[in-house]
Amino acid sequence: MSAAGADFAPVGDRRPLIAAEGVWRFFGGRAVLRDVTLVAGAGEVVLLLGPNGAGKTTLLRVLAGLLRPSRGKVERRGRVGMVAHHSMLYDALTAEENLRFFARLRGVEPERAGELLARVGLEPRARQRVASFSRGMVQRLAIGCALLGDPEILLLDEPLSGLDEVSVGTLLELLRESRGRGRAVLVASHQFAELVEVVTSVAYLGGGRLLAWEPRGERGGAAIWDRYREVLSGG
Amino acid sequence: MGEGARAVWAIAAKDLAIEWRTKTAFVSALAFAVLVLAVLYFARDPTAVASLDVAPGALWVTFSFAAMLGLNRAFLLEQENRALDGVLLSGVPRPAVFLGKMLANLVFVGAVELVSVPLFILFYDVPLWHRVPELLGVTAMATLSFVAVGTLLSAMAVRTRFAELMLPLLLLPFLVPPVVGAVQVTARILAQRPLSEVAGWLKLLAAFDIVFLFLAIFLFEATLEE
Repeated sequence: MSAAGADFAPVGDRRPLIAAEGVWRFFGGRAVLRDVTLVAGAGEVVLLLGPNGAGKTTLLRVLAGLLRPSRGKVERRGRVGMVAHHSMLYDALTAEENLRFFARLRGVEPERAGELLARVGLEPRARQRVASFSRGMVQRLAIGCALLGDPEILLLDEPLSGLDEVSVGTLLELLRESRGRGRAVLVASHQFAELVEVVTSVAYLGGGRLLAWEPRGERGGAAIWDRYREVLSGG
Repeated sequence: MGEGARAVWAIAAKDLAIEWRTKTAFVSALAFAVLVLAVLYFARDPTAVASLDVAPGALWVTFSFAAMLGLNRAFLLEQENRALDGVLLSGVPRPAVFLGKMLANLVFVGAVELVSVPLFILFYDVPLWHRVPELLGVTAMATLSFVAVGTLLSAMAVRTRFAELMLPLLLLPFLVPPVVGAVQVTARILAQRPLSEVAGWLKLLAAFDIVFLFLAIFLFEATLEE
């Protein structure tokens, strides 16, 4: 399968919900993304793998529209929900206030906040300030926030970070649901063994380039790990 | 309510709710205002300088520098956990983000001014009550000027390494025209002189408001680029 992705159609001919085409991104003259082309259609979950500094976070930020590509283009057909390295939440507000605030901005009924808090298991903590939350609770709230308004595109950067086993199970369930409901998901994670079952394709990044992009097929975590090392070593 | 107006209101209400809860900027601004008014009052020799001669300058030094403390905090709040990214991801139009932040800053600065005025009257014993509408007018015009520019520069400064130092450095040159204008107009108001004597300054304040409000809205998007 070519890294350029021109001949790649992971889920039939469905129209991609998000597409990066020949994307370059420079920071102070240094190329962090180099000619990356990647698409995700309805019902696809693309796993982004790569060592630290491979450009995964930058790619997700470019796809989200938080960074402009220096060259190339990004197209989105739908709203974006994102879980990033930073929680994107206000510490001084309670969990419920955070969700209600972002619900208002997205034109979503603020009542949805209560449903999402229950979904990520934070309903009993709804009236507590985020500043008092543990890392895992903040991550769960960030996931709930990303799901506000039921966005067509989900971009998840290390979403398992800080989550306990129960929360990982909840996240997998949410990802399965998102896939079933025709959402496009791109997820960057080093803890990919837990995610493998919901993934439809794997994109390998290294040095800002898309080194390979393949359907997951029947591969499990160990096989993807082997392939990851092979790709990084130039195989 | 339209999408943009809803976002403006939501952002301003969120900022004010956080400030109400923490009160960090307000308490600092108020302490600063009391300090400046007191220092300038006690520095004056009442047998040599009339309080009316010092009062307008003292009032605007207090207002503008106290406001800076609040302006500094406006975008530091958004840097925490990169919350601004969440706002931008919501698809809110960029000008609505700016106007929401500016509205919160206006309310903040207005509140600081409101609490500072009784202290100002107490220290300087100036005849303020006769011309309240005029004084409110000039205060509104000058405050809008430096809050519009200050909100924009706060968004720029927050991305620099020494954000809290950078804002005053960037903002001070822009503060000169509105603050000098406001001092001139306030001096005439306190001296019971007609406003026609300072028509030129009033026009400058109005022009500054219009030009910098639109310029700030237009340039805000550029400050969001990394």
